[in-house]
Amino acid sequence: MTLRASTVSWRSFERWAQVRDLIRELIARDIKLRYRGSLLGIAWTLLNPLAELLVLLFVFGTVLRLDVPNFGAYLFTGLLVYGWFQTSLNFATGAIVGNRELVRRPGVPSVILPIVTVASNLVHFVLSLPILFGLLMVSGIHLTSAVLALPLLIAIQFVLTAGLAYPVAAIHVWFRDTQHVLRVVLQLLFYVTPIFYEASSVPAGLQPIYRLNPMAHLVDAYRAVLLRGELPNPRSLLFLTLVSFAALLVGLMWFRRAADRFADEL
Amino acid sequence: MKPMVVVTNVSKTFRRYHPDRPATIQEAVAKGLRRMRSVERFWGLRDVSFTIGAGKAVGIIGANGSGKSTLLRLIGGVGRPDSGRIDVHGTLGALLDLGAGFHPDLTGRENAILAGILNGLTRRKVLERLDSIVAFAEVEKALDNPIRTFSSGMQMRLAFSVAVHTEPDILLIDEVLSVGDIAFQRKCLDRIAQFKAAGCSILLVSHEGSMVQDLCDEAVWLSGGRLMAQGGATDVVRQYAAHMGVGDPLLTEAKIEDESSYPAASPPPPTVRTTHGEVPLNEQRFGSMELTIGAVRVLDAAGQPVAEVESGEAIQIEIDYAATARIVAPIFCARILREDGVVCYDVSTQDSTLSLSTIEGPGRIALHIDRLDLNSGRYVLDVGCYAQDWAYAYDYHVAECSLVVRGDGRREAVLNAPHRWEIKGGTAPRVVTPAELDVRSSS
Repeated sequence: MTLRASTVSWRSFERWAQVRDLIRELIARDIKLRYRGSLLGIAWTLLNPLAELLVLLFVFGTVLRLDVPNFGAYLFTGLLVYGWFQTSLNFATGAIVGNRELVRRPGVPSVILPIVTVASNLVHFVLSLPILFGLLMVSGIHLTSAVLALPLLIAIQFVLTAGLAYPVAAIHVWFRDTQHVLRVVLQLLFYVTPIFYEASSVPAGLQPIYRLNPMAHLVDAYRAVLLRGELPNPRSLLFLTLVSFAALLVGLMWFRRAADRFADEL
Repeated sequence: MKPMVVVTNVSKTFRRYHPDRPATIQEAVAKGLRRMRSVERFWGLRDVSFTIGAGKAVGIIGANGSGKSTLLRLIGGVGRPDSGRIDVHGTLGALLDLGAGFHPDLTGRENAILAGILNGLTRRKVLERLDSIVAFAEVEKALDNPIRTFSSGMQMRLAFSVAVHTEPDILLIDEVLSVGDIAFQRKCLDRIAQFKAAGCSILLVSHEGSMVQDLCDEAVWLSGGRLMAQGGATDVVRQYAAHMGVGDPLLTEAKIEDESSYPAASPPPPTVRTTHGEVPLNEQRFGSMELTIGAVRVLDAAGQPVAEVESGEAIQIEIDYAATARIVAPIFCARILREDGVVCYDVSTQDSTLSLSTIEGPGRIALHIDRLDLNSGRYVLDVGCYAQDWAYAYDYHVAECSLVVRGDGRREAVLNAPHRWEIKGGTAPRVVTPAELDVRSSS
C-alpha cells in the first residue's frame, strides 16, 4: 500500500517537473525564435518602447507641453507596463492556432500555451526594467523600499493578462480576425489608460467609468512604487486583485471547455 | 493483471457547419450568430469499447476516415469523447507525426531537448540521454545546425530516436513507420519489438494489414467510427482485407497471397454451428452469423449445376440462407474475382430493383447474370450478406465456389464483351488478297 502510494506521488512529482520544464523550454523557444537571425537580437525588446518614448516625449513634452513632473520616467513606466499587457494579448491569438502540432499532441496540456505567451513577454518586460531604473536615476528619483512591492504588481499583472489571454487564444481558433479586432481594442484602451497624461486630468464626472479600467489602476500602482516611492493605494490593489483573479477564473474555465474541441477545429 | 487502457462505449461526434458559417468576427456581426451552430453532427466514433492488456500490442485497422486517429488521440488525452470513458493506467509515449513539432529555425540540439520534454521526460533526463539519442539517430555532426538544414530522413530519425529514449507504459504509434527508408523502418520495428519485450503496451494505428499482423497480438477493426471486429490480429486483418477488396493496393497484394491457396473445387459448406455473436473466424468466412449462408451453387441457363461455363453464357448463382432472427433490409452481394485477385464483377441487392424488407428463417435467393462476358480463365466467387446500410457482415464466404470460363483464351483482358468492327470513314475499304499482303511486306 505504502509502496503504491509513493509510486503515484513520485509519478505526479515527475509529471509536474516535466510540465514545468516544458513551460520553461517553450518560453526559451519563443524568445530564441523572436531574435534569432536578427542583427540586434534582444536589443529589439528595448528599441521598441524607447522609440515610442521619444515620439511621445516630443509630442506631449515639447509640442503640447503636458505639465507632468518627470515626464520621461512617467511615460516610460506607463509604456513598459502597457507594452507587456498589449504584446502578450496580441501574441495570445497565436498561442493555440500557431501551435497546432503541440495542441494535437498527447501529453501537452494546451492550458499551458497562453501562460507561455504571457511569460515570454514577461521576460522582455523584466529585461527592459534596468533601462527604466537608469531613467529614474537620471531623473533624480530615488527608489525607496516600496519597490519591494514590484514583484507583487508583476504577479497581479500576470494573472490579469493570463485571464484575458485565455479567451483571446480560444476565440481566435474560431474567428481568425480576432487579432485585428483585438489590435483596435488595445489601441483604444491605450488612450483610456493614463500613459501620457495623468488620471487626475480626467473630468470628475467621468472618473467612475474611467476607474473601471484595471490597467489605469495598475499603471498608477507601478508609478506609486517606482516614481513616488510609496505603496500603492490599497483600494486600487484590492480592486485589481479581485478583477485579475475573476478574469483568470472565468477565462480559464471557458478555455478548458473550448479546449476539448481545439484538436477538431485546427 | 489489470488492463492498461480501457475504452468503454466511447462515442465522438464531429460538427459539420453551414457553408456560410462566419469565419471572422466581422462576418459574425454582419450575418448574426445563428449560423455559428453546426448544421449537422456526424459520428467520428460510435460506441467503441476495447481494452489493451498489460504488455499487449493492439492494432487499430481501418480505412481513411474510419476514426482510427481520432481514437488514438482521445486515448492520448487530446479532446474528449462525447460519451463513454477512457481509462489509462500508466504513462503514455507517442510516435505520431514524426518531426512535426520541430521548429525549422532551432538547432537539432534545441529541437531534440524540446522534443524529449514533449515526450514526457524532464529536461535533466533529456540532457543525460542526449548523447545516446544523437548516436541512435546518427546526426552527431549536424547537431548544432538549424533543423531546416537536416534532410527529412535525418529529422525523422532524430524525432524517432527522441521518442524511443523514454520508458512509457503505453506507446501510441500512428502510421509513422510507413515513411522513411527501409533501413530506418527496420530499425524502428526492432526498437518497437524491444519496447514490447520490455513489457510496454502498444497501440498501433495503421491501414496496412501486414504491419498490424507483424507487430500486434490483437486488432480492432474500425469502419465509419464503428467497431467492426476485434480479436486476434491475424483474424481481424483477414476480415478487413476481405472486406476492403481492391480498394487499397497494399491489401490487393495481401489478397494475392491469400488467393494462391484458393481451393480448386468448392469447399464443402461450413458446418460450424454458431450462436449469435460467436464468430468463427477464418480466412474463408466471417460475420456475425445472425444470418448464415449455406450452400451456394452456380447453375447454367437450364438450371443445372455447373463448374465450367462458356464465355457469354447466362448463369445463375443460387444462395441458400437461414436467418436465426427477424432481419430487416439485409443486403446480399456477390463478387467474381479472377485468380490473381482482380474483382471482375461486384453486385448487391442494394443496386437492384429487388428490395428486401424483412426475412426470417431459411430461404434461397438467386442472382441471374444474363451474359457472363468474362474472358476464359479460372475465377472464384465470394458471396455475402450484410446488415442494413452495409453496417456489418452477417456472413461472408470468401472463395465459396470456383468457376472456370471457357472461350478464346489468348487474351489477357478480363472482359470479353460481344463485339464487331466497322469502318466508318477514311479510305474506302477494299478487300486485300493474301497475295498482295505478301508483296507489300517483302518490299
